[in-house]
Amino acid sequence: MVPAIQITGLHKTVRVGFRRREVVILRGVDLDVHENDVFGLLGPNGAGKTTTVKVALGLMRPTAGSVQLGVPGVSQVGYLPENPYFYDYLSGREFLGFCARLFGLDASRRRERVEELLREVGLERAADAQLRKYSKGMLQRVGIAQALVNDPQLVLLDEPMTGLDPVGRVEVKRIIQRLHETGKTIMFNSHILSDVHELCTRIAIMREGRVAWTGAVSEALAEAPTLESFFMRVVTA
Amino acid sequence: MNQVVAIAVNTFRETIRDRVLAVIVVFALVMIAGGLWLGSISLGEQGRMMKDFGLVAVTFFGLIVAVFIAAGLVHKEVEKRTVFVLFSKPVSRAAFICGKFIGLCGTMAVVLGGMGVFLFLLVWIVAHDASGMLLVAVAMIYVQLLAIMAVTIFFSTLGSAILASVLGICVFVAGQLSHNVLSLTRLSHNAVTAALSWIVYVVIPNLSAVDVKAGVVGESTLSWGEIGVWTAYLLAYVVVVLALATLVFRRKEF
Repeated sequence: MVPAIQITGLHKTVRVGFRRREVVILRGVDLDVHENDVFGLLGPNGAGKTTTVKVALGLMRPTAGSVQLGVPGVSQVGYLPENPYFYDYLSGREFLGFCARLFGLDASRRRERVEELLREVGLERAADAQLRKYSKGMLQRVGIAQALVNDPQLVLLDEPMTGLDPVGRVEVKRIIQRLHETGKTIMFNSHILSDVHELCTRIAIMREGRVAWTGAVSEALAEAPTLESFFMRVVTA
Repeated sequence: MNQVVAIAVNTFRETIRDRVLAVIVVFALVMIAGGLWLGSISLGEQGRMMKDFGLVAVTFFGLIVAVFIAAGLVHKEVEKRTVFVLFSKPVSRAAFICGKFIGLCGTMAVVLGGMGVFLFLLVWIVAHDASGMLLVAVAMIYVQLLAIMAVTIFFSTLGSAILASVLGICVFVAGQLSHNVLSLTRLSHNAVTAALSWIVYVVIPNLSAVDVKAGVVGESTLSWGEIGVWTAYLLAYVVVVLALATLVFRRKEF
């Protein structure tokens, strides 16, 4: 199977503070995400999940190692950052139109795509309100919509369920399932293991800048009664 | 190109709708109108006082808007992490910097255009002394502020928004004086001082070169040819500074 993301020996070191102290974030991450996977990237805070995604997207440069995407470039990738903030004085419709324009969609296709997305994430009624008036859940949904504006083959979502009420979570899960059904590859970071259990085909558990375990959810559940107990066993080993 | 236009339009929308901008513009208009009072207490020089005071108000408030918005443009995107959304799409760092700058140019054109037309109408109605030169002077203030906006954006790629604002204002002040300092140090016959002031003169934009305020009140001023040449110089300066800002920003990780 062709990997949608192939990460090999990824290292990342950053320098922080006035004295430029070295901090090692990634210590050799090896990871394969296959086409049409719903891939869950798990791990405690500071394990290196977000950094791995940022390097994959080119927002950070790797110190060593490589990332290969199975798509022709960022034009086929959608990304939702953690705790997204968007432009306060733009409306949801304007913001999505702006994102569509970044991908070079012409005016009529742009309008069409924006309306499709607003419907898909349930923001039609709030489409003309300025983003500063949106609730956290609404911002998360507009964030997901902007990640899908280019109809990407590969979708990376950083904590997509954070801050959502139960209704919002159900809606986001439905969107992820729909993307999966249409043949997309989805990788998301999450601390909510019940969602991971429900949605993911494969997972990786990161610990201290490395992938400590990777495999199918069913393989994890064959080794422990719940995903939570398996996760705890891996991260405390 | 599509990306530059998209970012420029987005920046224009975002900045023009900012309430802080509206407050500053209202203050500016009140200050310009304050020239009426100054004019009324000056003997026979009402028009001159109104124009002088009005152009100073346009420069001052234009500078505040230019520096504070330019300082926040790039920094806010990094701080609030909207850059994650932008740079995960096919947007280059150069397109980002250019788009931001062009969008701010649009906002400044609206702000300075509004203040300039308001001043022109005020002088025309009250003192019957408005000339096209008044609008040329406002246009030249705009050209000066383009250079300051570019410099401030450059500084904002290096450090905090506050530092960029302060340095932007410093460059504006130094740019008004750099030519005079160069002339004065040449008189001192000290080679080191002359060389240093020449370096400063090259690095800091010579803003006084496009200052045509004197022409508005009937004193001698630059010819159209000189205005054209110095405007081209400041625009070239803008291009160089934005290229440097792009180089710095390219090295940044988020």
